[in-house]
Amino acid sequence: MESKDRKILFNEVAAPGCFRLGLEWRSAEVTPGQFVMVRVSDGLDPLLRRPFGVYGVHGGRGKNPLKGNVVELLYKVVGKGTRILSARERNESVNVLGPLGNGFPEAGKDEKVIMVGGGMGIVPFLMLAKKLGDGLLLYGARGKSEAALAKDFKGTACRVKVSTVDGSVGAKGLVTELLEREITKDSVVYACGPVGMLKAATKVAAAAGVRCHVSLERSMACGIGVCLGCAVRAKTHGERENRNYMMVCSEGPVFDSEDIDWELL
Amino acid sequence: MGTTVEKNTGERLPVEIAGIRFQNPVMTASGTFGYGSEFAPYTDLNRLGAVVVKGLSLKPRQGNPGPRIVETPCGMLNAIGLQNVGVEAFIKEKLPYLRKYSTRVIANIFGETMEDYSEVARMLDGVEGVAALEVNISCPNVKKGGIVFGTDPFEAAKVVMAVKKSTRLPVITKLSPNVTDIKVMVRAVEDAGSDAVSIINTLTGMVVDVEKRRPALATVTGGLSGPAIRPVAVRMVWEARKVARTPIIGVGGIMEAKDALEFIIAGATAVQVGTASFIDPNAAVKVAEGIAEYVERHGTTVSKLVGSLEV
Repeated sequence: MESKDRKILFNEVAAPGCFRLGLEWRSAEVTPGQFVMVRVSDGLDPLLRRPFGVYGVHGGRGKNPLKGNVVELLYKVVGKGTRILSARERNESVNVLGPLGNGFPEAGKDEKVIMVGGGMGIVPFLMLAKKLGDGLLLYGARGKSEAALAKDFKGTACRVKVSTVDGSVGAKGLVTELLEREITKDSVVYACGPVGMLKAATKVAAAAGVRCHVSLERSMACGIGVCLGCAVRAKTHGERENRNYMMVCSEGPVFDSEDIDWELL
Repeated sequence: MGTTVEKNTGERLPVEIAGIRFQNPVMTASGTFGYGSEFAPYTDLNRLGAVVVKGLSLKPRQGNPGPRIVETPCGMLNAIGLQNVGVEAFIKEKLPYLRKYSTRVIANIFGETMEDYSEVARMLDGVEGVAALEVNISCPNVKKGGIVFGTDPFEAAKVVMAVKKSTRLPVITKLSPNVTDIKVMVRAVEDAGSDAVSIINTLTGMVVDVEKRRPALATVTGGLSGPAIRPVAVRMVWEARKVARTPIIGVGGIMEAKDALEFIIAGATAVQVGTASFIDPNAAVKVAEGIAEYVERHGTTVSKLVGSLEV
């Protein structure tokens, strides 16, 4: 593990306000759900690195989707940091720390994976879909342009169902309503997206009596479990006094949804 | 203060504080370097002057609810809430790892009452591998209606006396910048027996989310750190130097060697690198390397540089 300057191979528009960033990365090996911390510029403002989920690893020998020589990130411009990043050009380099955190756990032998992605919450699932070779992705997109990202899953054996709140693409309504229709007692749910969506997915999974793992997002300074800024409240209280908070960066970002105190998130 | 032996080029870096020799003047600031082990994959702990560990309390503390941090221009505001494993778990589970390194370990301690401070200090007394205590006095005194020990010279002095009585270890007092006159605080803690002072802890700050009309941090206010506070910190070190009889450790927004040298020239015998370690886990070692390059280039030593500011 180290922080390294990585050459930008591409940094192009994937959808309006949304970019794909390709980084030269010899012998990359990433678990779906892991993230990297990017220093978007060498200046002091913004000061902190920005966390980004890994969207893909390419260019390796063979067909292992988790190894390669290019790491691809997919990000949306939401503030100063991502705006600066989106202006960075090919052949420039950015300093990157990672891959960090724990990815999604292996599904059980008889479990059928349902991935639930809301907005940019689609990011960890492209690699996971490639790794699984099957599975079902339910993708709640903000509108037509964001829904276009579902095309990236065409090369996988994963089935994709899209929902939009306005009904412009796919089913009209919330992605968790799709989940309610698709979930069975053999499912395992992997979810990434806004907190409201994660809460709803947790409820749907609990009602069906199946496991649910969620990937959380929190402001963080270090990404390596030191600043203790990205704490979320754990459900287990009592004796494990000092375990009442979990760090999203080092103990997550993927958690068993049962371990999280959703009331306090 | 800050005398060193300087026989050859390898001896340009060491400094001495409270009778302890440090191989170079660069330490890690408490709360930004965990218990050291977290950084071992990224940096060489043996190349630091000292590791100052996360603040320790008598009992483990779970810390504050989130959001705990927010970025600010050239800085960050935090309200972690002094989450830590507690002094017992530190001695049993964290310290053995650090003993494998030649680098000095300084235990940062805090409490909510005078008795807490005494007890934590007593528990660390005589523990192998702990070179000194750094006392965080920027905590509210729960028995005195929450007044911060470190903003009242009498309370600050009482804490230092309580700690000194409970340990034979050298005591470094980490001062709060949230005072009118840092010189008063320096004198107060020195008179109480403090062997050195760290200047400064974080500046109290606040960020408002205007869309939500709510504070950005769950605790409303927090501690500001990072390069934004550096000029304030350098000024306070320079002021403190005028009255201090004990060595000063300069802290506040050091990102690179040049920043550390500002503190040293203004009067600090050593420095601590804090927020920079979040951005680059190897930052403190790079600062030490940069200082080594500077003293070599100027044909001088760190101890000669201390307080060498010409006004």
